[in-house]
Amino acid sequence: MLGRELAEFIESPVMILFATRDEAGRPMIGRGSGVRFDRQSGRLRFLASRCQWPRAVGEALAGRPIATTYVRAADYKACQIKGRILEAGPADAACRALGQAYVAEQLARMLALGVTRMQLSSTLSDRELVCLTIEPQEIFEQTPGPGAGRRLTPEAVA
Amino acid sequence: MIPLESLRDSFEGVIPSVIATTDADGIPNISYLSHVHYVDGTHVALSNQFFSKTAANVARNGFATVMVVDGYSGQQHVLDLVFARSETEGEIFERVAIHLAILEARMSGIMKLRAVDIYRVDDCRAVPAANPLVEPEPLVLPDLMGKVARLTARMSDCGDPETLLDATLEGLGELFGYRHSMVLVPDGERGGLTTIASRGYDQFGFGAEVPLGRGIIGVAAERRRNVRITDLSRGQRYIQAVRAMAGVEDATPIPLPALDKPLSQIALPLASRGRLVGVLFSESTERFTFRHRDEEALTVITAHLATALSFLSEERERAETDRREKTEASTDKAGSVSEGRRIAVRFYPRDGSLFVDDDYLIRGVPGRLLLHFLEDYVRTGKQDFLNREIRRDRRLQLPDFKDNLETRLILLRRRLEEKAGPIMLERADRGRLRLTLAGYPEIEVMED
Repeated sequence: MLGRELAEFIESPVMILFATRDEAGRPMIGRGSGVRFDRQSGRLRFLASRCQWPRAVGEALAGRPIATTYVRAADYKACQIKGRILEAGPADAACRALGQAYVAEQLARMLALGVTRMQLSSTLSDRELVCLTIEPQEIFEQTPGPGAGRRLTPEAVA
Repeated sequence: MIPLESLRDSFEGVIPSVIATTDADGIPNISYLSHVHYVDGTHVALSNQFFSKTAANVARNGFATVMVVDGYSGQQHVLDLVFARSETEGEIFERVAIHLAILEARMSGIMKLRAVDIYRVDDCRAVPAANPLVEPEPLVLPDLMGKVARLTARMSDCGDPETLLDATLEGLGELFGYRHSMVLVPDGERGGLTTIASRGYDQFGFGAEVPLGRGIIGVAAERRRNVRITDLSRGQRYIQAVRAMAGVEDATPIPLPALDKPLSQIALPLASRGRLVGVLFSESTERFTFRHRDEEALTVITAHLATALSFLSEERERAETDRREKTEASTDKAGSVSEGRRIAVRFYPRDGSLFVDDDYLIRGVPGRLLLHFLEDYVRTGKQDFLNREIRRDRRLQLPDFKDNLETRLILLRRRLEEKAGPIMLERADRGRLRLTLAGYPEIEVMED
């Protein structure tokens, strides 16, 4: 479903947000700690810190919907991928390494943009990483502006 | 629930907030939004021009969850919100609209605020700092009341508008560390503002103009509201994204008054008896120079400045009116006009712009005033002018004239001083100006 360009974009050092929801429909917010697109299965392997986002990760259950947003901090170019959680469990060694590398690179990028180490202290975590396997279902333009929210077809993002 | 009052720095719009909602099928939606505004201890306001999905979701179940980030410490908080009402006018709407109006310049209306949504805050939780690279430094915010008292006392000692303006800007730098400041006054004709006093810039910029409604100064004047920006760079990145997305081709950055790369700015309208008499503007190359308490301190100072400026201008007028006729300015003989080089003066009646030796000097009322002085000089050799005479002179036919004469004379005099050219206007004594020339003016009026 994801074209090459979009897959490369979400795997680049972009800021990642996600939202789950509880039984009552109340949304939960969290930040992602890295993502990989499996070209073979078409699924996302999405990482988030359970200790930092206990509520959002706590509602990331198999079968539940999830929204993930990817934003390049330098210019706010952004997209949103919505889908269904297929599996949720502790990150394995490979995923932990991916999450640690993502956090390290993201911190470096944000520092380069003038964000201080103190300001970044609360933002990103590579601890207690959970890996969510997500089946993408819908993709949307999310760059701020009048086009935000526009659905991107698979052809458009290929 | 963490009190919202303790999170005031998270409502600055410095770091974009995040909003999540859910649709009828229970599918979440998450996006950035530019501002979350503090309303009171249990309510916030959201300005959300683009997020139609968010609006539709909220309309369905009333739920929204927002994450705000403290622009100084980076501390994050998650707020559980329940929609309360939508407003299209009033105090909160105006407060939100003014922030967008700054960004909206040159955006063809695409960021114009249509409504502001008010939400009740059911819970506010801190997000744990799971990767503490640096412990947040304790933020020391000194009480500014003593400094306000000292500065306003100095201002009260000033006996004329010009000294008052200088003392105020000097004091802001010395006492508060606001080292780049200016005062602008309405130009009366074009509806814009003109710089009359400044501190901390390489060039004084007297006579520099700001259109009403444009940029932080123009918006503060037009809306009669304080405008405070704590980190300009983030707002500019955001606006560039919107501009690119919207296909707006005019890529000229938002015009900035003076510093090349300001990160903090504040503009406060000066109002006296409901009338706008000017704008106080200050800026800094540092982030977070102007916090809430700085704005509060400056609000007191601007109130004092507006009242004192208005009072001193009126007092001067009364003093001059009380004078006896014998103080009428002297008129030299026509034959005594100075010899020497030719001073080419070109004047355009349409906008009152005046050029000296092909260099632009000033326009509007100050331009017309100088033409008036120069014509009298050429005709009669007159060099001394009383404010009272100028006010009475029907030839000038200047709009809204009496109210702003004092500030316009200050502006004209300073502009001439800044140019250090062949024409100078000196304050001879109270209410009297003296024209001095290093040559003979040849006036050319350029009719349309």
